[in-house]
Amino acid sequence: MARVVILGGGIAGHTAALHLTRMLGRTNEVVVVTPNSMWNWIPSNIWVGVGRMDTEQVTFPLAPIYRRKGIDHRQALATAIHPEGTSDDHTPFVEVTYTDPTRQGETARLTYDFLINATGPKLNFGATPGLGPDGFTKSVCTAGHAVEASQSLAKAIEKMKRGEPQTIVIGVGHGTCTCEGAAFEYAFNVEHEVRQAGVRDLADIVYLTNEFELGDFGVGGLTFTQQGFQTTSKLWTESLFRERGIRAITGAHVERVEEGVVFFEQVDGSKDSLAFDFAMLLPPFRGVDLKAFDADGVDISEKLFAPNGFMKVDADYTAKPFADWRAEDWPKTYQVPSYPNIFAVGIAFAPPHQISQPRTSPNGTLIAPSPPRTGMPSGIMGKLAASNITALIKNGSKAKMKTASMSDMGAACVASAGSGLRDGSAASMTMYPVVPDSVRYPVTGRSVADTYGEIGLAGHWIKALLHYLFIYKAKARPGWWLIPE
Amino acid sequence: MDATDADIAAAPLPTDKTLSARQSVVVQFGRFLAINLKMFKIIRKDRH
Repeated sequence: MARVVILGGGIAGHTAALHLTRMLGRTNEVVVVTPNSMWNWIPSNIWVGVGRMDTEQVTFPLAPIYRRKGIDHRQALATAIHPEGTSDDHTPFVEVTYTDPTRQGETARLTYDFLINATGPKLNFGATPGLGPDGFTKSVCTAGHAVEASQSLAKAIEKMKRGEPQTIVIGVGHGTCTCEGAAFEYAFNVEHEVRQAGVRDLADIVYLTNEFELGDFGVGGLTFTQQGFQTTSKLWTESLFRERGIRAITGAHVERVEEGVVFFEQVDGSKDSLAFDFAMLLPPFRGVDLKAFDADGVDISEKLFAPNGFMKVDADYTAKPFADWRAEDWPKTYQVPSYPNIFAVGIAFAPPHQISQPRTSPNGTLIAPSPPRTGMPSGIMGKLAASNITALIKNGSKAKMKTASMSDMGAACVASAGSGLRDGSAASMTMYPVVPDSVRYPVTGRSVADTYGEIGLAGHWIKALLHYLFIYKAKARPGWWLIPE
Repeated sequence: MDATDADIAAAPLPTDKTLSARQSVVVQFGRFLAINLKMFKIIRKDRH
């Protein structure tokens, strides 16, 4: 009997846990360590953030699902990995501290045969002074944050109804942020809500982003065919901003936030500030606070983790200029080379380089959108790790490993631009591959036939459908595994 | 005017017909099916 320990119960970790129990049966042990008791369908936090949904609609308790599926659920925070065990006992283990109210603060060692690191990100609000719910801006990264954002937005709308103009700033709060797509969604959902409230003329909505140009989305933008022409996501996005009257500041690194004012630097080195009444700025991500030690207790964190705290896997991390990076640099199995019984999936793995071209301002400030690896890619990686671990358990060294490099993986994204069964809207996009491959696709780096974008009500229906489908799947209801990642 | 705002101001504005098609239940039902097909094509490619 083998024991698989999964750190994290988000999209990647939860997907891996469910597939492992399906593939391995109950003769092996699957343990999920997650500090949260609830599962959150994060893409719908956007709708919580504008008051269209409440937290109960986007979250559910994990414990009953794990009880039903025979998964050992530990509500705890992983603090250290010991991949070589100790000098006395070479069984690898992780150290955890319980966050479960009944065992709060207790520590434990969980041994493993295989480990999946799917911890997701640490929301690094501290990287920008004044950023975040403890500072002067809101976030929609968690359901709780989204509720606070919704309450602040409601207050801003109330003020506008009393005739007070409001400046609303939405975007990312650091030059190295990712998830620009989520900020984009929130900006357009807020615009939709303000318009619905009949106070659009009193709202100055500004999208503040580290993207060098609109439509970059952290993936270097997209090129697709529309009505017989090749067009770019830049032009397409700018058109949407024009139509909806949203201003934009691009190539920006937020330096700090004070009460009602955001201070930022742009790629050209210019510095400016913007006064706001309500701001939602996403934080940069870094790896969670997880250490690694060898059998002698020596700290080997640098061997396992990149400087940004994400775990190094089977990628080529050689430092080289952006132009020299290649699609094959990206990981294929997400295994840690020095410890092949450890996998890191979802946001937890360290990308070898940015997908969108990084830039440095004349002042030396790095303004570089980090690669998005949430949603569909996270689920695919979680399932891949489950599949490969199952093969290793069943066939040992003869196991044939499956691969899923982001340079050979497509993604379907639906960016909401307003909620409503009849008056909603969303930008539906597909891209293949996520990481451009200039060898296979020399013109644009991606397959033009499989890279696509369209705006309309149908996109909203698809996003709403995905909300219910993925929550059904995450609850492991009958036939859940038939729903693709 | 900021360069990005200048780009936005110069971007093509959808016509009333395009805006109407984007919100038309009949047109969008067809688009719903078409977009789902495109997404399924990507999903099939991702089945490694």
